[in-house]
Amino acid sequence: MLLTMGLLAVLYLGFLAVLLSMHVSQMVIILFMGGFMFLQYFYSDKMILRSMDAKIVTESEEPELHQIVSRLCANADLPMPKIAIVKTSMPNAFATGRNQKNAVVAVTTGIMARLDNNELEAVLAHELTHVKNRDMMVMTVATFLSSMAQILVQWLPFFGGGSRDDRDSGSNFIVLFLVSLVVWIVSFILIRTLSRYREFAADRGSAIMTGQPSHLVSALKKISGFKVPTEDLRKVEGPVSALFITPAISGSSFMRLFSTHPTLEARIAALQNIEMELEA
Amino acid sequence: MGFLDSILGKTRLPEAKTDKLFAISTAAITLDANLGYKADGAAGVCIKPMESSRYEAARAEIEELLKISIKETGTEYKIHKDEYNYVWVVFADPDFEDLVTNIQMVSQILMEQGFGTQLLAAVYRFRGEAVIYWIYNFKLGSYYPFVPASDRQRDTSREFRLKALMEKEMPIEKDESKWYPMWGMPL
Repeated sequence: MLLTMGLLAVLYLGFLAVLLSMHVSQMVIILFMGGFMFLQYFYSDKMILRSMDAKIVTESEEPELHQIVSRLCANADLPMPKIAIVKTSMPNAFATGRNQKNAVVAVTTGIMARLDNNELEAVLAHELTHVKNRDMMVMTVATFLSSMAQILVQWLPFFGGGSRDDRDSGSNFIVLFLVSLVVWIVSFILIRTLSRYREFAADRGSAIMTGQPSHLVSALKKISGFKVPTEDLRKVEGPVSALFITPAISGSSFMRLFSTHPTLEARIAALQNIEMELEA
Repeated sequence: MGFLDSILGKTRLPEAKTDKLFAISTAAITLDANLGYKADGAAGVCIKPMESSRYEAARAEIEELLKISIKETGTEYKIHKDEYNYVWVVFADPDFEDLVTNIQMVSQILMEQGFGTQLLAAVYRFRGEAVIYWIYNFKLGSYYPFVPASDRQRDTSREFRLKALMEKEMPIEKDESKWYPMWGMPL
């Protein structure tokens, strides 16, 4: 994970250096994007909850869920997040919120019906680990310059580079376009790699918090056996969407490099390793 | 858990803090003398079980020692798994000091065996105007009051009153958002 983060940082520093050596007009885009990402960072939790139609539930409405989560939080000394429920038969769970204080952990009615209390606890612990690991922040930071590069790649062909009087602007433009393209592609792969590491880390956190890796294994097996309808959730698959227990879109595994979540087999193998560690 | 740990995605459960656990002994005297709450002869430790044969060994050792310990103190105990899959060691003894000693013993063994991370809470029941519980959170190392009313409601005003009156006598958790209720306790 450290290597992936380091590579992203190096890539972005290089990208920034290229951007800074270019014209000021591009800096406007950076500021604009920065503002946009900042807003997204602050409001994404509300946006996610609304787009998912998730309803925050109180303790008296969902005493069991609150009891499971509050015990996990007490045992790990974490602040208690808000809990939300999404009414859909699709079994899934996610966490969102820009920091631990504003965190929301949501489960669908489908997952609640499908899993027993132990498995549900394991899934909630996975989501709590996302919150604890500040994955919202990590992924926002990680995707920021990548989105920049993407926008430059898509817009540069239309706007060109700088004023016509500038003799260098033509070559500058091509350099910028190519650099952005490379940064976009490489960072995309790195971000997805990072995302898969964060998922492994959340699985591990769940195993440690519950003390029972096998509960998450059986939960994952139960959830993934369910075929997910795709069209419903297309809007969820944004740059920083939410941190789902399983991918929102069940993309066929044709390109593992580009997937946000590790394969089920890899996750179960990792959990079985943790089981061995607990023995040692 | 530190900031760097969380950014790198490392998860470690905090170790149990038992140094303030004994504070309940003196607090019990004040609770009785000033507020009319008497120790109700019941207490328990709540443990998060683990899938590990070493944990099983620790559990077996606790049971062995409990059998010896209760011969001396005359305490009754039972081991109970609640609906959330947590393990409780519940003690019954009219002598409050014996309850405190037994709870201390269980937590001590678990910590010695390296399972302090699995200790969630110790709970003491008192009875006066109402039945109240003092919950010791091992991760925070402090107590908080829990007064269940009917139908999964808490008597929060009584809890705040208890806090105000007992603050000087025992370490009470200042962050009230961490006063987690414990429903379905086997005591």
